[in-house]
Amino acid sequence: MRYALLVQGGPYSSQASHSALRFARAVIERGHCLATVFFYHDGVYNAARLSAPPQDEPHLGDGWRLLHDEHGTELLVCIAAGLRRGLLDQREAARHGKEGYSLEEPFELTGLGQLVEAGFSHDRLITFSP
Amino acid sequence: MILHLLNRSPVTSRVIDDALAAMGPDDRMLLIEDGVSGGLPAQALFFKNLAGRLFALREDLVSRGLLERCGEHVTIIDVEGFVDLTEEANKTVSWY
Repeated sequence: MRYALLVQGGPYSSQASHSALRFARAVIERGHCLATVFFYHDGVYNAARLSAPPQDEPHLGDGWRLLHDEHGTELLVCIAAGLRRGLLDQREAARHGKEGYSLEEPFELTGLGQLVEAGFSHDRLITFSP
Repeated sequence: MILHLLNRSPVTSRVIDDALAAMGPDDRMLLIEDGVSGGLPAQALFFKNLAGRLFALREDLVSRGLLERCGEHVTIIDVEGFVDLTEEANKTVSWY
């Protein structure tokens, strides 16, 4: 089956991201395709390029990146939620006249339409909220 | 069959009322995160119409020290069982 996850909780402030990542690994372990993870609301902070948690704590951002690298999972970030919270890729940073950028591949800024699309194009969509 | 995920304790949030009201006769409920405290015997009355359809996530029970304290009203499953439930359900709804 093709799975999509919706992550709406901020990393390190609620359990949602940890729950989602644990479920993501179990879905893949079972042999399903985890095609898409969509980050929305405070969940967009999972995509922060400069996130640097202590080395003895789980690195959620790297956890998501690994899913992309090893299983091709698309990591989609709501652009409206991201820009409000200072999560800009190079293109958006330039467009808004900002120095530096805070989001990069494999995370991808995208519209909310992609979430609606995910609801139709995947067999299962599971939401993890704070 | 719809799978309902509840991540709030029945004693700290009333979202459970909406979740229970929305459930069909074959729907199932999985307690995750702080929701697993619903597995305590003292909370069983909240779920009295869900015999055989109420589950709690083992990993979240363990992290809260509640694994050995659950009542008969709840079935304990691990994250692989969570995947099973989502396979068997047509849809999954999260309540928070």
